[in-house]
Amino acid sequence: MGKTVLIVDDSNTMRKIVSRALRQAGIDFSEILEAGDGQEALDVLANNQVDIVLSDINMPNMTGLEFLKAKAEDEAIKDIPVIMISTETGADIIDQAKALGAKGAVKKPFTPDLINEVLAPLL
Amino acid sequence: MEFVHKIQAATEEIFATMIFLDLTAGEQIDQKVEELGCYVSAMIGLSGGFNAILGLHCPAAVGMAIGGAMLGIDPEEVDEDTKDALGEITNMLAGGLKESFATEGIDLFLAIPTTISGNSYKISAPSGSNRVLVPFAIEAGRFYIDLKYSLA
Repeated sequence: MGKTVLIVDDSNTMRKIVSRALRQAGIDFSEILEAGDGQEALDVLANNQVDIVLSDINMPNMTGLEFLKAKAEDEAIKDIPVIMISTETGADIIDQAKALGAKGAVKKPFTPDLINEVLAPLL
Repeated sequence: MEFVHKIQAATEEIFATMIFLDLTAGEQIDQKVEELGCYVSAMIGLSGGFNAILGLHCPAAVGMAIGGAMLGIDPEEVDEDTKDALGEITNMLAGGLKESFATEGIDLFLAIPTTISGNSYKISAPSGSNRVLVPFAIEAGRFYIDLKYSLA
């Protein structure tokens, strides 16, 4: 059965590109949901059964790190795996993200193969 | 502080990985943005080891070609998708510069990108700013990566 993925990015363009990359990577997703920032992502997670989240870090309203922190404090959603997809992939930021529960990171720009490489072990 | 090669390398990586348009990088030039014949500009702020505005300036046809290739569509005008795509390119470019400068011990922080378009606008930087302007060519025409910076 296909998985449900949530793509979190303030750029509509990047959400479309990530969505396309998932299809090109050949991963079987039954549904791809989208959110424009961390708060929208929390709202989506509260109302949907999501298997994995792909999130940007540098977003207005609620950043990816703030989203991870809020998610970690919510028993109902804290175990849903999150992969960061961002231009912000310096060691310090990724260490912060992993300390808050992120399972991995993909640097923008990326290829579908790279997305597949990071996601496959989590599905 | 070296900028030109970092800008060229980061731009080439983005085009090779996510846009798939043949790209030719030029050498640094010295021109005012209002003299470049551009219709759309995407910009992002950087702060930290130095303060800067990084911009991508291009004519409408070039912006549509880049945005269309990135999204797999054929836009008829510089619409919101095109502007969002160009903003995301500056975001990735700034991320590439951040990563490159981090290896030299220079830490940078990125703002959120923004894009403007129109037939007549000027982009000003604080007086005393330094400037690096690098042209690139694709089949649809030229675009420019523009970095105005001042040392913190």
